[in-house]
Amino acid sequence: MSGLSQAEEAQLRIKLQEAVVLCTERCLYHSSKWAAELLNSLPFSSDDGSDTEIESPQADARPPQTPTSRVAKEGTEQRLEARELNKFLLAKTYFDCREYDRCAAVFLPGPLPKGSLQPASSPASASKHQGKGKVKVTGTPSKPNVDIEPVQGLSQKALFLSLYAKYMAGEKRMNEDSEMILGPQDGGVTMNKELPVISAILEEWFANLPGSGRQSQGWLEYLYGIVLAKGKNEKQALEYLVQSVNRYSYNWGAWQELSSLLGTIEEMQQILPHLPQNIVSFIFHVSASQELYQSTEQVHNSLSQVLSIFPTSAFLKTQRALLHYHDKDFDEAEQIFSQLILSDPHRIDSLDNYSNILYVMGMKPRLAFLAQLATNTDKFRPETCCVVGNYYSLKSEHEKAVMYFRRALTLDRNFLSAWTLMGHEFVEMKNTHAAIESYRRAVDVNRKDYRAWYGLGQTYEVLEMHSYALFYHQRAAALRPYDPKMWMAVGQCYAKVNKPTAGIRAYKRALVAGSHYDAGVGSSFGSGESAGLGGGILDPDVLYQIALLYERTGDMSECASYMELVLAQEEGPDFEEMSGDVGGGVGVTPTTSKARLWLARWEFMRGMYQRAMELANELCQDGVEVEDAKALVRDIRARIERERGEGR
Amino acid sequence: MATSRYLTAQKISLLVLVNLYCDRALPSSATIPVLSFLLSKSICRVSAAARSRHNSEHGFSPASIQDFEDVLQGHASSMPGRTLLDHFSKHIWGINSFDALHDLFNNLSILLERPSEEEQQDSAGPERIYLSKTSPLGAFVRRARLEFTRLQFDDSLKLWAAFVEYRAPTAKWNKRLAGLAPSGSDVSIAQLGIRPGDAIFEAVYGNLSTEDVVLISVDDLDSILEFQLDQLQRLGTRVPDDMAVQLRNMLNPTGFVLRQIHLVKLFDAWKAGDYTSAFDCLHRYYDYAMQTREKTHYQYALLHMAILQADFGCFDEAIAAINETIATARENQDMTCLNFSLSWLNHMSKAYPKQMKGAGYMGMLASERDGLTFLKAKAKEAKMHHLLSATLLNEAKLCLATGEPISRALEYVYQSAYLNIRGNVNNYGRLMLFQSTLYSRLGITHLSTVLCDLLLHCYRHGCAVDEQVRAICRIAFGATQHGRYDEALQLLETVDRSIHRTVRQYQYILSCICLIKLRRAIRRTDWQGCTVLLQSLHPTSTRDPELVFLIREARISFLIARRQYPEAFVAIEELASSLREESADIHQRVTTLLLKAELFAKVGKPERGFSVAMRAASVSFKARLMPKLWDAVGRLGGIFNALGEFEAARRLLDAVIPQSLESADHTLTGMLSSQISDSYIGLAGLEDASTTQGARARASYISRAEMYIDRARDAYKTVEDIEGACEQLMKKAVLAKLRGDEKVAEEWAQNYNRMWEDNQERISEGRTVGGL
Repeated sequence: MSGLSQAEEAQLRIKLQEAVVLCTERCLYHSSKWAAELLNSLPFSSDDGSDTEIESPQADARPPQTPTSRVAKEGTEQRLEARELNKFLLAKTYFDCREYDRCAAVFLPGPLPKGSLQPASSPASASKHQGKGKVKVTGTPSKPNVDIEPVQGLSQKALFLSLYAKYMAGEKRMNEDSEMILGPQDGGVTMNKELPVISAILEEWFANLPGSGRQSQGWLEYLYGIVLAKGKNEKQALEYLVQSVNRYSYNWGAWQELSSLLGTIEEMQQILPHLPQNIVSFIFHVSASQELYQSTEQVHNSLSQVLSIFPTSAFLKTQRALLHYHDKDFDEAEQIFSQLILSDPHRIDSLDNYSNILYVMGMKPRLAFLAQLATNTDKFRPETCCVVGNYYSLKSEHEKAVMYFRRALTLDRNFLSAWTLMGHEFVEMKNTHAAIESYRRAVDVNRKDYRAWYGLGQTYEVLEMHSYALFYHQRAAALRPYDPKMWMAVGQCYAKVNKPTAGIRAYKRALVAGSHYDAGVGSSFGSGESAGLGGGILDPDVLYQIALLYERTGDMSECASYMELVLAQEEGPDFEEMSGDVGGGVGVTPTTSKARLWLARWEFMRGMYQRAMELANELCQDGVEVEDAKALVRDIRARIERERGEGR
Repeated sequence: MATSRYLTAQKISLLVLVNLYCDRALPSSATIPVLSFLLSKSICRVSAAARSRHNSEHGFSPASIQDFEDVLQGHASSMPGRTLLDHFSKHIWGINSFDALHDLFNNLSILLERPSEEEQQDSAGPERIYLSKTSPLGAFVRRARLEFTRLQFDDSLKLWAAFVEYRAPTAKWNKRLAGLAPSGSDVSIAQLGIRPGDAIFEAVYGNLSTEDVVLISVDDLDSILEFQLDQLQRLGTRVPDDMAVQLRNMLNPTGFVLRQIHLVKLFDAWKAGDYTSAFDCLHRYYDYAMQTREKTHYQYALLHMAILQADFGCFDEAIAAINETIATARENQDMTCLNFSLSWLNHMSKAYPKQMKGAGYMGMLASERDGLTFLKAKAKEAKMHHLLSATLLNEAKLCLATGEPISRALEYVYQSAYLNIRGNVNNYGRLMLFQSTLYSRLGITHLSTVLCDLLLHCYRHGCAVDEQVRAICRIAFGATQHGRYDEALQLLETVDRSIHRTVRQYQYILSCICLIKLRRAIRRTDWQGCTVLLQSLHPTSTRDPELVFLIREARISFLIARRQYPEAFVAIEELASSLREESADIHQRVTTLLLKAELFAKVGKPERGFSVAMRAASVSFKARLMPKLWDAVGRLGGIFNALGEFEAARRLLDAVIPQSLESADHTLTGMLSSQISDSYIGLAGLEDASTTQGARARASYISRAEMYIDRARDAYKTVEDIEGACEQLMKKAVLAKLRGDEKVAEEWAQNYNRMWEDNQERISEGRTVGGL
């Protein structure tokens, strides 16, 4: 896949050029931007470039046309398009001027079937509506038929544009109707009122499709997929989107919708066989994996392959940086992002992720610089507001940070990271209720955001609602199975709700996950202990927690052995002689000291005074818990004396 | 928002300096200069009067980085070989990213919070200076912090960009500091290896040079405008041209309009005599002021409108406006406004009685005195020292006008002066002018001139332009009494050009110049010149009541001098009746009486003026109008002479001449001397020349008469009164002839002719050379 032949590359070029034109015609600006960016990130081959330039009339003539293979079947479409060209141009200009209703009315004048189906009023009714809708179409055809007639006479392009304009008009009205972000009335449930209308028309259209002898181009499926997804009718939406990408695979918007519908890696695996096999599909695979936090070697390899085709693609580089970010390899991610802003300083896309990275790394001046850059480019972009919000958050000015996140959300209600980050800020401001609402919204927007789940759990823990918190932590852990922080949180909750055994299991998971990250090798989920021990330094805190839980279950020997393990972390895994690269242990920390004190007492209780004495003296040397240790030493001395006395 | 509210790059630099000061980085020798620099730049709200002394031209000027260099370069820092400037620029360039700027503001709280005792002991470092929260510097620091917190992100970015631009000139100092140089203006830029000209540099700092750098914040602008307003309102001047240009430059690029600018424009247009735009600006200002929903602005708007209307002679509208002002102020319980409008109304009804009556104003209380008493009580109640002081002066003026005892007027004057000192009321201009009037009425002319001089020397900056101009004119009139016409004219013509920019003052000065020229022309018998001057001095050319009276008086003297007696009589009658109607100042009424007496004397029927002159004498004696009294006595002497009561005339005149000599009014002296010489000649005629005793007495009388004739001639000569001087020459000639000394008589007659011809020559010469 890595090496493309000249011909293939030329083919790809043409495909992408065509995609830009087609998407622009349908006013899918982001998709066309994506395609154009990709087109320009192809390595510049001089002969090829000059080729197209020399044959420019030919090259120009080709892209707008639909590919030759389809020409025969789409003769009707072409005829229709040619007939309504003038009107189409009018509609397109209206759309470009953001007069959506007027645009829609060019091809769809008069009233449309309204709300007869109510397909998307609530998620619960999703399945019901599905059946109902079908019934309506077949059972009461009289009403829709009247309206559908003019629709049938339209080309797919015109129909798409008008319905899309209708959709946009609905979105616009929805935004206007929405209340202030997190205001008293802001329930986040304002619906796009045009959805039922669009849904009804499209349903009719697709029902009539087989009989009409027309070949669908894939765009209407895309729109229908969006509408269905909005109505929480996700399974059907997925179907239509897969159809759409099969019919026309250079519409990146469809792929994006698709990936937003995929909740888990398993779901992705399921739909993979149904997808077309081409370069876009490959890119989709990479980006979807990234969004599902699959930063495996395999994904990296695929990404490298795609990058070899599009060496300068900012989009793909961002994917790489995000993969590193999920891997907690911040330096690498930061490097990539700083190269990106150098090569294209006006690109704001995904700068919010960059700011997250800088936030974690605590690079204030750089973050300030980034904020300056973004603000100078466009201060009313949600990404910019997020960057500024992050900066204020880093400066501990949480009120201002919230203000900026709020602004980001006003600009785009579905801007995921702003919701989550705003939740974090509310937690900082001790406003737990607002925090919960923010996190909840984040989760509603995207169920794959582990930080929001984790934040929810944390907030509930603050509120002492542990079993509630447990649920959210579990969700987070499911999304990030290799993140020890999640598992620790789960374990902690189990401990709080009095399920020590479950807690121990969770903590052990955390140990495994931790070692996984430290070693950089995916280790199998074994019993935990042995694998963990082999990995490198284990987190003494986790070990200590496990020990404490064992103590609670009464399994004192397990507990003692874990305590010993905690102590062992002080020196690090030096028992394996090859520890040169692993480095030393954690040294004396409060946790290890606590473990030592526990062990000393344990040995004291067991009567192993010598060992107890050693440990207590070590404690005194370390200068931690000196008072307790000294008291213990005194006790041990007294015992030893007494025993001597008894023995004598 | 294009202009920041408060913070500017300059203020950041000041904060850095404050930091340095608090770190005890300043050597003790530099502490005072640096602190005074800090204060002069950080505190703009010093009282206007204090500021005007320092830089009256601009009021406030934002410091450029150059100013910092100038102040700091001279002082060595605690580190040997380094100046304070090095230290300062090290800190200023230490702010090497937007984040560092943020930190600077965040760390400001350290300057203010005094650590607890034990913490203080723990910190081993050198002792710091902690600012009190209420100290001027502390307040400045706190305000700066607050304003920075209020800034939106992009506004703070603008501030940062402005700061980068602002300190750019000091880059040369920065080069000397090792370690700082490579980081340049932004550490991130250096880290990323960006050079100016790269795309990303353009994206971040590209707008630096093109966009106007924020040098002036709204706060600064506010204080500038406030200063301008203060100058305009208090002094009644116009905005100087260069300042107007500066203001426009400051305001234009920001696109941000403070409503004060309309007020500044209003006063400027007002003083320039541009009624339409003044009116427009007034409305605009108060329309914008309504934004703040302050209803109090309404009555002030009305008050301004009333004054404006009255200033442009629309008395009907003015009265309507002021009545509404009073009603509104009463409704809103705004005592200040109410009292001020009442006082203004009182003043107006006094200054323009006819016009006000014509406009339907009936007076607010039964009598003027009641009005003043009411105002005084109100002012006392509301503790408005300014109003009280002004009212006291008004009352004193009323005393003078009605001819009440001088002692009472003086009492009011002293009360007012006491209030001025106690309440720190800047009312000196009016007070001194009034005192000067008082003394000139009492005939102590030199004191009156001295007071005017004093006003000009000591209070020129503090008092309104109007008062300055009056003082100058008064000095000029004083000079004309001494016959120093050229000096007087020069004084008036060399008045500061900027005053000419205010149309009313310009008119006033012009009228005074014409009046002085007219008086001179009458005395020189330059009739052609007189006609021209009289035309330009038509009473409508000025609305100042005093000047109007002087002009009418001059016209009557002209008519008398031209021997157009019937016209003169009609004019005098008209003047007298109008003065009676207005219940005008007693001084003016006495003057008309005297004019009438003079007229009768001129037509050769002095005895008919007897009662008039007697009345004038008794009134002016009662009211202590000494110069008028002397004049009246002079007229009486003339009447007695005509009636043959030479001894009585002589005694009367003998009694007043010494006093009148003191007042140094040469016209008066000339007249009195001439009269007394007549009496002596009359007395000489009564003596029996046959007896030796009689002959001796006659000789002595005649020699005395000659002496007085000479004196009168000298006096007339100094004031260039040709007719008077010639008359004396004629008398001399007649005397010589009577004595039988034909030759001498001939000589005097020739002298007479020569003088007359010289004068005619001078007139024609003057006309060809200098015009009027």
